[in-house]
Amino acid sequence: MDWKTDPNLEASPSRQIVERALDAIACGDLVSGDSLPSVRKMASEALVNHNTAARAYRELEGLGVVRPENGKGVFVTRSGKKIARKRRQDETLLVLQRAIDGALRAGHAPESIQALFNKGKRRDA
Amino acid sequence: MSSVMSVSGLSMAFGKQKVLEDVNLDLAPDRVHVLLGSNGAGKSTLLRCMLGLLKPQAGSVDFLGVDVRKSKAPLRELITYVPDEADACDWMTATDLFYFLSKQYRRWSPEKVKELCERTQVPLKTSIKSMSRGEAAKTMLVAALAPQPKLLLLDEPFARLDPPTRELVLGVFLEEAPLDGGAVLLATHDLEVAARAADRVLLLEGGRITTQVDVEELQSDGDTGQRLTARLRELYTPAEVEQAR
Repeated sequence: MDWKTDPNLEASPSRQIVERALDAIACGDLVSGDSLPSVRKMASEALVNHNTAARAYRELEGLGVVRPENGKGVFVTRSGKKIARKRRQDETLLVLQRAIDGALRAGHAPESIQALFNKGKRRDA
Repeated sequence: MSSVMSVSGLSMAFGKQKVLEDVNLDLAPDRVHVLLGSNGAGKSTLLRCMLGLLKPQAGSVDFLGVDVRKSKAPLRELITYVPDEADACDWMTATDLFYFLSKQYRRWSPEKVKELCERTQVPLKTSIKSMSRGEAAKTMLVAALAPQPKLLLLDEPFARLDPPTRELVLGVFLEEAPLDGGAVLLATHDLEVAARAADRVLLLEGGRITTQVDVEELQSDGDTGQRLTARLRELYTPAEVEQAR
């Protein structure tokens, strides 16, 4: 996995690591029992200092998607996928809701938004 | 938590030229401190005072509670340094240099040397004078990490490296930084390096520390839409960086 962060983005490097991990867990690139790199390794791969990497791990642990095991590393939990996916769904629904509100205010017909949605659905199928 | 290094009231002049004036700073354990400053701001002089190589006209530099100029070898060898230009004898190869250094440091780790040299592909049999800038930088970093220091000082180690080498050396530095109770001071004017590496940023201007701030305070997590590099740029826009672009 590519963990390299970009300090020119709005999200802090630690947030970028959290989001990338949640994404990988939500879509099954990382599954229950998979390990994440050690904090030091993550620092080197994400090109951040290791307090930043540790902060990201603490947050992932707080969310319940990863769990440290004594001396062995940090592992994706059994409920990790469900939690990560729920978070992703909540976030994306919020973004979608805002986009729809914005589009309606801008004068788009509900039908054309519906058509766009159907087009997206077909592409996904 | 007591500091790894504490600098207080430090002033330094060469002849009539004042270089550092009343510098006060503490290097806290487990943290990477980035010292930002233009060329000529006094960064290298400050590092040389911290190493105990220069005797300041006023003020003191304490390392783990002991005056660094009076500290004896067992303590002194816990401070290591990565210079901006390789400072070993020209004729030496990396193998010669590591052999020479291994006799000076009680905590020297041959395993660390082996691991890091393999990982970064340090050319062991090439004389340092024939090395590329990147190869020399890798050699110097390995030499500074192998003694397992409690304080690692680095002077522009990533400057003028090609992008893949810079990323490799930066990655090794970030992974190996001695933060188990130790501290790091990295002098640079590269804001991207600063944004990646720093827990705390210190700004040296005209021989004085004008700003000290924790990166966590600068960081907004996107709620104000402010990027970290932009916040650093607000603090500091060195002339030579503008010229380099």
